[in-house]
Amino acid sequence: MLKYITLTLDGAAVRVPEGTTVLDAALEYGVCIPHLCHVPGLTPIGACRLCIVELVENGRGRVTTSCTLAARDGMIILTNTEKIQKLRRNVAELLVAEAPNSKAIQDIAARCGVTEVRYPFHHESCVLCGRCVRVCSEMWQADALGFLGRGRERHVGFPFGTKPDFCKNCNTCIDICPMTITPCAGPMNVGEEYLCGRCASQLSMAENVSDSCVYCELGKGFGCIRQEALP
Amino acid sequence: MPRIQGLQDLEALRQRLLGSSAKQKQTLVLCCGTGCQASGCGKVLTAFRREIERRGMADQLSIRVTGCHGFCEQGPLAVLEPSGIFYCHLKPEDVPEIVAETVRSGRVVERLLYVDPASGERIQREAAIPFYRRQERILLDQNRRISPTSLDDYLAAGGYTALASVLGERSPEEVIEEIRASGLRGRGGGGFPTGRKWAACRAAPGEPKYVICNADEGDPGAYMDRSLLEGNPFAVIEGMTIGAYAIGARKGYIYVRNEYPLALAHAEKAVRCSEQAGLLGSGILGTDLDFSIRIARGAGAFVAGESTALMAAIEGRVSEPRPKDVHTVEDGLWNRPTNLNNVETWANVPHIINRGAAWFASKGSEHSKGTKIFALTGRVQNTGLVEVPMGTTLRQIVYDIGGGANNGSAVKAVQTGGPSGGCLPVERFDLPVDFETLAEAGSMVGSGGMVVMDERTCMVDVARYFLEFLQDESCGKCVPCRVGIGRMLEIVTAICQGKGEPKHLDLLEELAETVAETSLCALGKTAPNPVISTLRYFRDEYEAHIREKRCPAGVCRALITYRIDPERCTGCGACLKACPHGAVSGEKKELHAIDAETCTRCGICAEVCRFEAVVLE
Repeated sequence: MLKYITLTLDGAAVRVPEGTTVLDAALEYGVCIPHLCHVPGLTPIGACRLCIVELVENGRGRVTTSCTLAARDGMIILTNTEKIQKLRRNVAELLVAEAPNSKAIQDIAARCGVTEVRYPFHHESCVLCGRCVRVCSEMWQADALGFLGRGRERHVGFPFGTKPDFCKNCNTCIDICPMTITPCAGPMNVGEEYLCGRCASQLSMAENVSDSCVYCELGKGFGCIRQEALP
Repeated sequence: MPRIQGLQDLEALRQRLLGSSAKQKQTLVLCCGTGCQASGCGKVLTAFRREIERRGMADQLSIRVTGCHGFCEQGPLAVLEPSGIFYCHLKPEDVPEIVAETVRSGRVVERLLYVDPASGERIQREAAIPFYRRQERILLDQNRRISPTSLDDYLAAGGYTALASVLGERSPEEVIEEIRASGLRGRGGGGFPTGRKWAACRAAPGEPKYVICNADEGDPGAYMDRSLLEGNPFAVIEGMTIGAYAIGARKGYIYVRNEYPLALAHAEKAVRCSEQAGLLGSGILGTDLDFSIRIARGAGAFVAGESTALMAAIEGRVSEPRPKDVHTVEDGLWNRPTNLNNVETWANVPHIINRGAAWFASKGSEHSKGTKIFALTGRVQNTGLVEVPMGTTLRQIVYDIGGGANNGSAVKAVQTGGPSGGCLPVERFDLPVDFETLAEAGSMVGSGGMVVMDERTCMVDVARYFLEFLQDESCGKCVPCRVGIGRMLEIVTAICQGKGEPKHLDLLEELAETVAETSLCALGKTAPNPVISTLRYFRDEYEAHIREKRCPAGVCRALITYRIDPERCTGCGACLKACPHGAVSGEKKELHAIDAETCTRCGICAEVCRFEAVVLE
């Protein structure tokens, strides 16, 4: 028998099966928490830090990622406090400055309220969200991809640098990669980048009605699971 | 060594060992810790052995090779027992004189004695040296008494009495209560109450349980754990065995970094000796306690010192931290309840059991009990390991024990707690060193590294150095730590290069907050501390870099120039010859000049000039 637990999400009591993560619980109830490295069905690793929430314990809030946090009975979660908004905006700014030429990341940044990027743009082709690595090992049991290196040198690659025989050529790693989504038509030429904001215009409601799903465009390119649930 | 069958057997053996050492001759205690090895104690040791053999004095003088005594600045050093005469800066040539004069005739070799720089007096006895006198050495003192790989020495020095008393008369709950009452807190940096951790691990469901000793000390300038494990591995093993009994674990790991070859070798040897003697393995000391220890070698990643990353490494995976929403005492190594403590924490356990919780709790400050070892390094006179009660002020440690700055200049700040800690200015030196006070002041006790900085240290450069270290050592898993530290480094580097803008400081502060709040593990959460603390106490230095394009300490190369003072230059040509870049020009006996374009600000010219004619601006 499924055991249910009740937690408080932004003041509302919600009931979910035991073992659900806070992020899944929130998405299930239409509280859209931005996320990048989380993919339904894959092990959460808490790498992108976009899905941070405040977990209130003994009257004090502690910032933690909701994708790795298992919901417990009586847990109090705040998903959209001023502090969280600010921190999330800063993390999204760091992300978009690393890889401005990805629509998924531009959208996320716009949605998190980033209007100006205060760092010089880097043009990374990978933001190390680890979606490909996990889908390869967990869904396809192939283990053809992995993380290599540490710190600045960390990157995704094949074992020993060459594509192994056991790669199934399934292309799921490409499908699931946030960097392969064609960037928006905004002028993102190297050296002239700015956050174009066109994507943001589509999402302008996001901040006002933050604690119910606004059925945002994010899902189309990027697989917000709420998108799949709605007709 | 034959297996020790039971508690009476252990006591009988100890009495036998004490009996044989009582009629001992003189003993030369020679420090062969890593510091002294670097200063050449190996050759001194060989010279002593040879001299003893040559003179046939084996029955008059024995040598005890020990781990670190702590006074690394004066190495190689030796103490003669029982007289307590202390010789420092030994060279192999000094050995015959020591043997002939001191050992044979009891005369002191004056020139090898320690000279107190404050009074200029030569001090004969080790106990009278201010560096030692002002400390309270409990853990480090044992380093001197035993040879690290000799179980006999450890037993003779009272080793394993704690385990015997625990196995003979105390229940696991009583042991945990004793540790809890002592107020011992984790010495690895977090300062979590050890007794509470043990109790939580004991109560956690799941079998088997594990205990781990974290010897992956990686802070620049810190070597307390290294010296303890090198100098006294049996104390760590005894502490772990007591912990295993209290928690209900049957297996333990000592995770040592591979860069500590001596610690690794000594820990391995000590585990082997303990197994042979029946102090590890099944049926320890004839009771039904089963506990074995394996040594896990780390491959040198700083982040592997984080508990979850360390456990991943032991499991054979890449050492990356994972979220700790569920603590490792419930879900640790191989998803089993695991109790991880630092080397120094484990080494404290036998002392607490032997002398009681009240004794331990009588030392230290209100919330931080006992003594703590600090590694005093940087621009300080007495580099070395210092053990003082918690709550000792920074001033006492840096000036009274450390002797102040080493070159006559004034101390500016001390950096505590390694890369995750902060820099405290000299105005805050009256702060007692304990977990809470330092955290409030924006730094931390950490594992116990203390780097002393003087006027020639640029605090922006210090922040840059630590950010660079952390950027390399971050595992790279989460965005704020990997990207955020990199961006902070970009900004601070720009400031050091004179490209800083006033808005950078606000951005730096906001970024520091974001990284601290949102990072996955403690490495990222504490990574901004060097920036935050230098911004808090040395904001004027940042301002000088940004607004005046000036480095007050004369360190940041882009902001300084070397000039030759025409009044002082004699035209000797020393700087011209020394300059590796050909930036100095001038005829012999005539005024020289430095070409600012070619000059790389290496400072070699200033070092070689005997007339102080090269001026730094």
